[in-house]
Amino acid sequence: MAASMTIRNIVKQAIFIKNGSIGINSKLNVAHKSTHRAHNPNYNRTSAEVTLALRPKQNFLHHDLVDKHRRSPLQKGTEVLQTETEVKAPRDYRFVMPEFMPRPNFEDRDRVLEKLERCDMFRRRTNITIPEFYVGSIMAVSISDPYAPNKRNRFVGICIDRGGIGLKAYFVLRNVVDGLGVEVMYQMYNPTVHSIEVLKLEKRLDEQLYYLRNCPLEYSTFSFDMEPVLLPRDAEIPVNTLKVKLNPPPWEQKWERQNLKGIEPLELTPRMIRGIEMHLKPWEKYDLMLHYRSKVPEEEEEQIMSEVYKEKLKQDSLRKVTKATLRKKK
Amino acid sequence: MASKSILTCFLRPSCTTLLGSNGTVASLLPTSYVSVQQVRHRRYPKFVVRQNKRKTWHVRKWTQKYDDNLLTSNEQFIKDVIVENYAKNSDSPLKDAPWDRNPYVYGTRRTGVLALKLGTMLQWTTEGKPFMVTLLQVLDNHVINYVPPEVYATYPSHLPHHRQKFGLQIVGALSSDPRMFSKPYNNLFIKAGVPPKRWLTRFLITPNAACQPGTPLSVNHFKVGEYVDIQGRTRDWGFQGVCKRWGMKGMPASHGVTKSHRKMGSTGGGGDKDGIWKGKHMPGIMGDILRTQYGLKIWRINTKYNVLYVTGAAVCGRPHTFVRVYDTVLPRKKRPESSYESVPMPTWFEEDATEPLPEEYFDSKLFQFTSPSLEIEEEKK
Amino acid sequence: MALSIHQQICRSFSQRVGTSTCQSCQFSTSQTLHEVRKLMRMRIVDNSAIGKAAAQIGKPPKVIHVYNKRQVGFLGDKVLVTVKGEMKKAYIVGLRQKQLPNVPRMDTNNIVLVDDKGDPLGTRVMVPIPSALRGKGGDLTKILSLATKFV
Repeated sequence: MAASMTIRNIVKQAIFIKNGSIGINSKLNVAHKSTHRAHNPNYNRTSAEVTLALRPKQNFLHHDLVDKHRRSPLQKGTEVLQTETEVKAPRDYRFVMPEFMPRPNFEDRDRVLEKLERCDMFRRRTNITIPEFYVGSIMAVSISDPYAPNKRNRFVGICIDRGGIGLKAYFVLRNVVDGLGVEVMYQMYNPTVHSIEVLKLEKRLDEQLYYLRNCPLEYSTFSFDMEPVLLPRDAEIPVNTLKVKLNPPPWEQKWERQNLKGIEPLELTPRMIRGIEMHLKPWEKYDLMLHYRSKVPEEEEEQIMSEVYKEKLKQDSLRKVTKATLRKKK
Repeated sequence: MASKSILTCFLRPSCTTLLGSNGTVASLLPTSYVSVQQVRHRRYPKFVVRQNKRKTWHVRKWTQKYDDNLLTSNEQFIKDVIVENYAKNSDSPLKDAPWDRNPYVYGTRRTGVLALKLGTMLQWTTEGKPFMVTLLQVLDNHVINYVPPEVYATYPSHLPHHRQKFGLQIVGALSSDPRMFSKPYNNLFIKAGVPPKRWLTRFLITPNAACQPGTPLSVNHFKVGEYVDIQGRTRDWGFQGVCKRWGMKGMPASHGVTKSHRKMGSTGGGGDKDGIWKGKHMPGIMGDILRTQYGLKIWRINTKYNVLYVTGAAVCGRPHTFVRVYDTVLPRKKRPESSYESVPMPTWFEEDATEPLPEEYFDSKLFQFTSPSLEIEEEKK
Repeated sequence: MALSIHQQICRSFSQRVGTSTCQSCQFSTSQTLHEVRKLMRMRIVDNSAIGKAAAQIGKPPKVIHVYNKRQVGFLGDKVLVTVKGEMKKAYIVGLRQKQLPNVPRMDTNNIVLVDDKGDPLGTRVMVPIPSALRGKGGDLTKILSLATKFV
């Protein structure tokens, strides 16, 4: 090894001496070896200059530097974000209120924006109870409708989807009315929404229930006069392990590819099986970076959820316990 | 536009456009040491690196990275000295008397402000309609210098049609460690008595709105309900093809099309010119150019974090780009005469506040989340 | 070694299940938008005779013109449809398309037949109608008076 190293060094030196007479062009890293000006547009440019010109330019400030400037002692006039230290949220609180979690892309995130958005969300929550719910819960939403007799439009349905971050948080309710399946999307922080109640709090086996569109209508039918089902306080959220039977194909989406747990086993045709195989991504299980980038770091999550939990405790203590609360006291 | 794509690669300082990429440009400074020009019909190398001729008046901003081999205790001592020098000297008596504060009259142009784009958020009007707002944070702004119109008229960047109407206000943002910059650059800030800033820009102002160097600028320079123009650098898309850059339709994916799905196709017709007309839409470097949004309304101001909420999601650039914000030039959106007396001239000072400032100001048509849920009214015809 | 990891995995899976092939789609596709355009089949939801007859035969009405600048129909838009060989005008009262917040999305694209004057051909509408149509006025008020339920 030592011998080859010395040989390599000798060769390197030889090249340097040979090119040294040409001067600065010895550092050029062009495939086309000609040093004649007409053929070489990067004549007389060092490789350092070339890399400098070709480096990806950023016309925005790096996110770490932004926070550094905000915290800097040289800065005056703008307040620094306070970290939450008093209260600690229960574990996995992010599943109770997922719209408070920021988007996982750390480069585009801004702490001040998230804080201000959360402030707005807390304020809205003082005026309206936004209960804890999951996909599969049966809910009733009442919005302001100028043309309805009592100025309210009430809709009851099963929550088939939930998403959105911050003030854009939404959920979709599905029900069957007069034999026609109806779905409505509601924004949780929309000021025209007057009340959101959970009539039956439960979870399902899947995170989205769009397959109910291809099921017999009984699975999506819920009475508008349904009475709220109360759960004992501090009970675990019940999981409804119902396996739904799908209508015969054709379906709206290729449910056989989505690895759904809440449907009965499907009869797969050879074509379906081929399709599943084609779209299989078994390597995703091993892709650590994918999983890491799809989540917010734990320390940040704890920080944010602690703030949310503190605010919730404050609001709960202020709010009176009414008949409509879902979890009764023991 | 093809020729312009080359020009945008290196900035020339002009009266209103002194932005540059984050790491390199300030108002009086060159861009990168070298610039890049697209070369067509050559497969290798893809870029030609051209040397930018440095102007004599340019001030070099960056030094080589200092390598003092300091002990950690000495490092801390230097940081304390920096903080003491700049942050704690603000209460000392002024060297010069404070400048006159003139009233706002028709035709006045005030300074603008350098803001950091934070991102977008959803808000609702009092009628229940949702709309997007962009948040801009005015972080650590100070006035660095004022150049009177007579002196500005001698500058090479002075445009003849401005004559001697406008002076220059140089504003800087984001105080930084002086060791990052060169001595000539740090000397720019001596007059203002502020720490050297990461960003600098110029605003054209009328002399009656001149600010004394060293004045801090905050969000209270603006008022809710006013309209502003926002200048920023757009997102850098790099070298892009013709479909993305110019919205050309390309060709079908199948039906016999050979190897030409996203190409330009024909280069033009004929007629007066043999060949291609100048400015033909072609692939090239897209983005990273200065663009202005005119007449954006300020819906909300947060004085605690110095944040402006401005209509729309169209403010240029990614989050954490810096933008220039100033009173709008659109004649129909300028402030009415009745509000001239309440305009903070030349900017808002802390002494102006008779009571402690409210944390937030809202526009009358903006739904405040502290108010109860809205009732939609019937549409009147 | 000649096969990529993806192909190897797929191969192993296919060996278990008993099939083959591994081709990826070269075209980019958008999600289905369910927009109301020409030649689209709709569902008649009133109790007009033509509507019932068409449903019995199994030949649903097809849109041949949308009275809209963009030629894409939205809730409350007027369309021209062919039903059983006849051309009739109709109003859209329910869409399968993704809607704005607070506006319901139905499982079928529903229309109510209307004559040239704007009077509905049927006497009742059996399915729920979005409440958002109530503010639109015009011929829709006549249709909405037939409705039994609003969502």
